[in-house]
Formats: sequence, structure tokens, C-alpha cells
Amino acid sequence: MAGTGKAHLRDSPDVLLRVDDLVVEFPVGRTGLKVHAVSGISLDVLRGETLGLVGESGCGKSTTGRAIMQLPRPTSGSVLFENKQLTEMSGDTMREARTRMQMIFQDPISSLNPRRKVRDIVLEPLSIWKRGSKKEQGERVDTLLEEVGIDPARAAESQPHQFSGGQCQRISIARSLVLDPTLIICDEPVSALDVSVQAQVLNLLEDLKAKHGLTLIFIAHDLAVVKNISDRIAVMYLGKICEVAPSDLLYAHPAHHYTSVLVDSIPVPDPEIAATKTAIEGEPPSPVLPPPGCRFNPRCPAAQDICRSEEPQIREIEPEHFVACHFPTFTPVSISV
Amino acid sequence: MSIDLEEPTATASEAPTTLVVTKKPFKMPRLGWIFGTIWLVTLSFCALFAGQLPFIREYSAKVKVNGRAKSYGWGPGWNAWFGTDKSSFDVFARCIYGARVTLLVGVGATALGLFLGGILGILGGYYRGRIDRVTSIFVDCLLALPPLLLALLLIYRLDDLEIQIWFWKVTRPWEITITLGILAIAPLARIVRAQTISLREREFVLAARSLGAKNGRIIFREVLPNVVPTMLTVAFTGLGILIAAEGALAFLGLGVESPQTWGKMINAGRDDLAKAWWATLFPCLFLLLSVVSFNLIGDQMARRFDIREAAI
Amino acid sequence: MSDLIQASARDLSGPLIELTDVKTHFKTARGLVRAVDGVSFTLERGKSLGIVGESGSGKTVLSRSIMGLLPPKAAVRHGSIKFEGREILGLSRSQMRGIWGSEMAMIFQDPMTSLNPVMKIGRQIAEPLRIHLNMARSDAWATAERLLTDVRIPEAARRLNQYPHELSGGMRQRVMIAIALACGPTVLFADEPTTALDVTVQAQILDLLGEQRRDRNMSLILVTHDLGVVAGHTDEIAVMYGGKLVEKAPTRSLFANMKMPYTEALLQSIPKLTDPSHTRLSVINGRPPDLVNPPVGCRFAARCLYTQQRCREEEPPLVVTPEDPEHSYACWYPVGSPAYFEAKARIPSNSTVEVL
Repeated sequence: MAGTGKAHLRDSPDVLLRVDDLVVEFPVGRTGLKVHAVSGISLDVLRGETLGLVGESGCGKSTTGRAIMQLPRPTSGSVLFENKQLTEMSGDTMREARTRMQMIFQDPISSLNPRRKVRDIVLEPLSIWKRGSKKEQGERVDTLLEEVGIDPARAAESQPHQFSGGQCQRISIARSLVLDPTLIICDEPVSALDVSVQAQVLNLLEDLKAKHGLTLIFIAHDLAVVKNISDRIAVMYLGKICEVAPSDLLYAHPAHHYTSVLVDSIPVPDPEIAATKTAIEGEPPSPVLPPPGCRFNPRCPAAQDICRSEEPQIREIEPEHFVACHFPTFTPVSISV
Repeated sequence: MSIDLEEPTATASEAPTTLVVTKKPFKMPRLGWIFGTIWLVTLSFCALFAGQLPFIREYSAKVKVNGRAKSYGWGPGWNAWFGTDKSSFDVFARCIYGARVTLLVGVGATALGLFLGGILGILGGYYRGRIDRVTSIFVDCLLALPPLLLALLLIYRLDDLEIQIWFWKVTRPWEITITLGILAIAPLARIVRAQTISLREREFVLAARSLGAKNGRIIFREVLPNVVPTMLTVAFTGLGILIAAEGALAFLGLGVESPQTWGKMINAGRDDLAKAWWATLFPCLFLLLSVVSFNLIGDQMARRFDIREAAI
Repeated sequence: MSDLIQASARDLSGPLIELTDVKTHFKTARGLVRAVDGVSFTLERGKSLGIVGESGSGKTVLSRSIMGLLPPKAAVRHGSIKFEGREILGLSRSQMRGIWGSEMAMIFQDPMTSLNPVMKIGRQIAEPLRIHLNMARSDAWATAERLLTDVRIPEAARRLNQYPHELSGGMRQRVMIAIALACGPTVLFADEPTTALDVTVQAQILDLLGEQRRDRNMSLILVTHDLGVVAGHTDEIAVMYGGKLVEKAPTRSLFANMKMPYTEALLQSIPKLTDPSHTRLSVINGRPPDLVNPPVGCRFAARCLYTQQRCREEEPPLVVTPEDPEHSYACWYPVGSPAYFEAKARIPSNSTVEVL
């Protein structure tokens, strides 16, 4: 897994966000060691597209999302958003640019200030940027609250803990929409919710995306959820990209061994199928000392010597389907360049 | 087996409404809190309007026995409720007047400690890095010095300086307030810093930043409202300690000169404890009740703010 | 094993656990919360049962009621819980202590908070062995090492001397399982054991639980909100809603012949990998009922797509299906009945109105 390379990047005028060689490292205390959270990934998202980022915890998917927002700034790499280089921006320009993209977090309750009224929380962005008069601000907030299914009157007098997890997530969504952003980064927005509520929130996101013309980056560990909402999926493992493909293609024939493991690990609500599955051994290694070569090699059923020494490059294995693997699960169809 | 010891707790996945087992609050603390408030309100009222209230003797009025002032002339009784002291002053009246200084010093020192400690704690905890290192070193230095020594040094130094800012002359009560306030900085700063650090990692702070809020706004709108309850809770508990500390300073002879304070009264009466226990006991009782009252209020605040936190 | 249980008549022929009309209510400031409101079922020795439901359905409270792990002051308990033929509902904590560990054990969602952070793994496993089984120190540590090997922890001997924070989340959950298995329980309760774990690790832990259950002829009660988790790993499934048991069946029978509209809705709200992307998910509208004032009639009526007048007035009893005597459900108009199709036909096709 490895995945350096940019074969999967598209050269289109519709590219809203382009990330090149993003690297994020954190120091481990004062040991001099570093957590290699994200090790050189490249991504692009077209206007109106939903990009899914899947992987297990520690694969760097959330860090990628935050690095795109420049919160915190990446160690190196470039983030081009609406044709503006975010990594070079400073202070107020950065603050301004950040309002064009928003984030929704995993823990719906922790992402709302427990001591403020819900309506004020949603109104806060407008008050920061002094958009419109008090009356206009209030109207905008009420419309959005209604759109996400929260009663504005109740929101005006209640604090977040008086709402359920699913409702808090709806409130977060309303807040992220209030400044009219183009890109929304959803960081595991439904992982903390029950399945029935999860379906409500996913449908809501789809509706709002259509209504407000949004572009989404949807980060999650559940491949089934990501597949449902995304147009294109990037699978990550230990800070690298392993595979990028349109969602249906990715599931139909996963090329990377890790992707097939991921597909197989999802619990299927069908006893006939579930009984036939076997789990993969081992757990992801620490991102402090990632293995050399392909980062998936210690767990990979098809690993050979070259996988332990040489990092595979991302290449196109069939049209629109990109993989970073020396020995993918199926042979590439020949592509005429 | 560790499982045996596991107490069932509400897990995040379970709706709080079904699992949070809200016990009825104990009767005792609730009564205590009401008692504390009544005590402090009554005391403050009496202290403030001591001159107007008919049942409180004037500050400098000596109680006379057969027309003459007499050392420890009366024991506690109808004539002088708490008896009279060495110089034949009414102990009750002096306890009330003493509250003026004591409460002012306590509240003033706490406010000063809260303000400075709060600023240091929030700045250090929010910005981390170099600012945190500098503030932490400062706080650690404050903590490293023996508080009594620091208090002695500060008061003597301030005495020598005789600071006068326009009309405001730094007199002994102010010196004590400043000194105790400085002593209160360190513990408050530490608590606020710890709280701020945990808050800044919370996602709503990140959300505010992603919405383009500036640091100042995040501190005032997102962090501060969540820190203030803890600050107040700690401050109220600490107020009791500061009042007792003022007593201790007075006991060491570093008290306020002109109006009487409880600490000074206790100090003055202790030599004649066998002869006239009332001259020491009643100020002690006032001190004790006030300290306990502040603590009870602090506990109640902690409980109240906690319920909201617990529901999160 | 526990003297307490041995002294009383141990009924090894009947069901392992038998619940009759179990009610667990909590006294709260808002009133009496009927978290579990009349649940009856039996669990055979060596079988695995999945308890499925949303947050607030009472599934966690039910499992803790059986284990007797509820705050004694706040909880009001009714009904009967028989373990190996012996009534355990009224037992005190000290009496339960003889059952915990050696007869019933539990693993929790978050392995980090369930382990003592300042105690070595080895000691955390060995301690109960020494207390419950009076093992010598060296024997207990040897057993601990064997247990760690059993739960597939590599380099078991070295792990004994490590602290919980040195292990990954999956490894910690394995340690929790080892601790739970230490005294050879007859039944293991697993409360959302994999919710905090990654998908690949989740599959490993579920496989491990199944394997240990077979090897030790142990019963397993798996509490989860995810029908996918129980599908491949339990013999039977009990679906809970609003503190009630609404459907119970052998796993295959349940998936093949779902009766309760709630179970159907729960299953349909899971996104499926086989569906093309952007498939509209079916949702369960509304929220779970208020358990302080539960509605009259069927508790799911307010959210059910096929609700009729009768559902709002009369509470449906738990009835057995004609096809399978082990399959029971509580619904007036079950999935597949003529009334169900009639109701379904009346619903406008695009009724995905989401109301909260």
C-alpha cells in the first residue's frame, strides 16, 4: 500500500480541491520519533462529487481531512482549493478561505458547545462574519434548522444535551451550512449513531448536497456507508492510499488485497453469507515505525519479497480504477494511453 | 475478577434518559447550602449596616459595668450577647464589624486570584507552546515558595513601599488582599489551565476555528463559558481558605491595624482563654461558620454544574 | 466452582437461563423509567443469543439485569430470572459474587476503561483465578499465559508483564475476553464488544468469541445494535424495542421470515454493499418511545409504516409463528400477512418524510 504517485489525479476544469503529496507528522513526546499520520497522499475532488475516504483507525483519514482545512497545517504538501493555494495563505485570508469549506465531526455532542443555546451555536458563524442584519441572520438560521429537521423554537431555548445524538448531528450539519460553503468534510459523521439514525443522517446529507450544490469528502471506516454516499472512494492504510475507484467498481472488483479484506470484514446482515467469511489476522502496525516497502505487506496474503522493499506506485488497472499494489487481485486490462 | 467490581454506567451508545440513574439529592448538603447562603447574606447585611442597626453596639462603644469599663466585664448574656473583651468592647459588635474586613479581604483576594490565575491558566492552556512554558514556570515558582514566607515578605515589602496611587492608598487591608490574591493565583491557574487544555481538544473548539473564529473569540465564547463554572466552584471553596488565612496572618501579628478582624480577636483573646473563653470562641465560631458556608456553596455549585456536564 | 450454586439444586437438564416477565424500572427525577418491561425467554446451554435493538431499547439494561449488575437502590425489579433452575433475581450482591466470574462473566464496549490502567495484564487475569479458584501464584500466572494464547495474543508470556496502554484496542478486548474466560463461565455476556473496534479487528473478535464458545461449551449473549454483527455469530436473535421483546427466533428463521415490521425496518436501514451507490436508505421515522410514559398499544406504532387503529389501542402479545415453534413475534399485522400487504398498498410509494 503504499501508494505514492498521482496517476489517479484528474486534469479537469471542475476540480474543486486538489491535494498533492500531503504529509502530516506529529512528534511523539520528546523521543525524537514521529507519528507518520499521513505520508504523501494526493487526492482530487470534482465539483459536486462525493469522495469517500475509508480505512481503519490510525490510517490517517481524519488527519487528512483536518490537514485539508489546515487545522493543523500539514508538514508538507500542497492543498489547492478553488484554485487557491491554502498552504501558503496566512492569518485572515486563511480564515476567510476556511469558511468556504466546513467540517462535521464524529462525536455529535462534543462538537457542540455544551453551555450555549443550540440556535446561538448555529448562528455563531454569521455573527463571526457579521453577515446580514440580526433579522436576516435569524431567518437564515431558522430556515436551515427546519431543513435539517430541528424545531427552531426548541433550538432557541435548549442546550445540546437536551437533544439526542442524531439531532445533535443535524444541528452540526445546519451550522456547517450556514456560511454557504462549497465543500463539506464529514469526519465519521454517522459512526456514533444507531443504524436507524445513521440512515436518516445519510439521507439528509444526500438531500442537502443536491439542494445546496455541495461537494463532500466523506470519511468513515464503514465501507458500506461510504459506498452508499460516495461517487469515488479512496482506500487508505497507514497514511498511504491503496486504491482509488468509483464506488461501484471498487466493490465489484477490489484490486488491492487490503480492500478485499475490508470488504470481507463488513458484517453482512445475512446468516447464509456471514457464515462463510473468515477474518484477516493481525492489526495495523504503529504509524510511528511503518514497515518498509508496501505498508500492508506484514498482513498481506499475497506479499512477496519486493513488497517488503519497494513501495508500489499508483497505477491504472482498469479505466478509472487505480491501485498501488505490486500484485493486485486481478490482472490489469491493457489501457491505451 | 475486575468484572465483579464493574459498576454499571451509562454508555455513550445508550440513551441517557433510560440509563442515567438520577438519585434524589441528599437532604443534608442541600440544607447546608441554604444555611450557608443565609448565614453569609445575614452577616454581610449586618456588617454593612452595622451603624444603622439598633441591636449592634457602636464600634468604639465600651460596655460599662457599674459605669466603668472593665476588662472582660461581662460574660455572654443579655447585656452583651457574646460578652465583652479585654478592653470592655462588645464581642458581638466587634465580630460583626470584623466581618467587614474579613469578607472584603476574602472576596477581594479571590477576585484578584481568579482574574490573574484565570488569565494565566487560559492563556497557557489555550496557546500552549512558549506561552504555556512561561506561565507554567511563573506558577510553579509561586507554588515553590512557602506561602507563609511569601506572605510575610510581601506584606513587609508593601509596608515599606507605601504605595499611593492617586487617592488610593495601599493600606494594610489592601496589602493583605493583594498578598492573599497572589497566593491564590497558582492553584486557580493550574485548574483553569488543565480545564482549558481538555476543552481546546474538544471538537466544538475545532469547529469554531474552522468557521473562522479568531482566538480571542474562541477564548471568550467557547472556552470561557465552560471554564467559569469550575473557576467559581474552586473560588468559593478557596474563599473559605483565604478567610482562614487572613485569620492566620492576624494571628501572627500581620493583621489589619484599625478595624478589628476575627483573626486579630482570636489572637488577642487566646492568652486569657481560661478567664474569658467567649472573647476567643465567638470570633472562632464566626470564622468557622463563614468558611464552612463558602465551602458548602462551592460544593453546591460543583453539583449543579456537574449535572449539566453529566448529561453530556 | 461456586459452592453457593453447588449447594442448591443445580438443574443441568433444563434451560440455562429462564426469564419470566422480567421488569427493570429505574426511579429517576422524571418518573419511573421502564427500561425493561416484561421480557420472557429461555436460553439453552451452549447456545448463543444476540440481543438487538436501538439505543434506549433496554438491551443493555436487560443483560445487566440478568447479571445482577444494576444499582440496587435505583432499580426496581420484578419477575423471575432462573439460572440453572435457581432463582437469582432476588440475590444480594454478595450472593451474586459467587456467580460472577465463575458462572457468568461480561465484556464491555470499551476495553480501555474496563481494564485497570495501572495493573499489569498478567495480574489482572491471575487475580480472579487466585481468589475464585484458590490457585497458587505460579499456577495462576501459568493459566493466565495459557488464556492469552487461547485468545490468540502473540507472545503471551511477554504480554503478561505489560500494561493495558501498551496494547492496541483489539488486543485489549482480547485481554478482556481472557479475563472473562478465566474462571470458566457457563455464560458470557458481551455488551457491544466490537463497537469501539475497527472492522477487520471486529471480525477477528467475533470469530474468537464464537470459537471460544464452541470450545468451552459456553453460552454467549451478544448485545449489539447491529443486525450484521449477530447474523453470522449467534444461534438465536432477540429483537428489543421500547423495553419489550418484539421478536425472537433462530437466526436463519429470523432473516428468512421476518415478522415484526421493526426488525424489517432495522435491517433495511443498514446500507448494503451490494446496492449501487446513492441508493436511498429506508429510515425508521421518529424516535424511540419515552419509557417514562410508554404509549398504549404497540410501542412501535408511532414509527411503524403499517400502523392500524388496533396497533394504537391494544398491545400485541408475543405469539409463535405457524412455521417455526421457536419463532415468536409481537405484532398484529406481521410482515407477510394479508393485512400487512393491504397496509403497504395504502402507503404512497415515496413516503420518506423524515420527521423528528
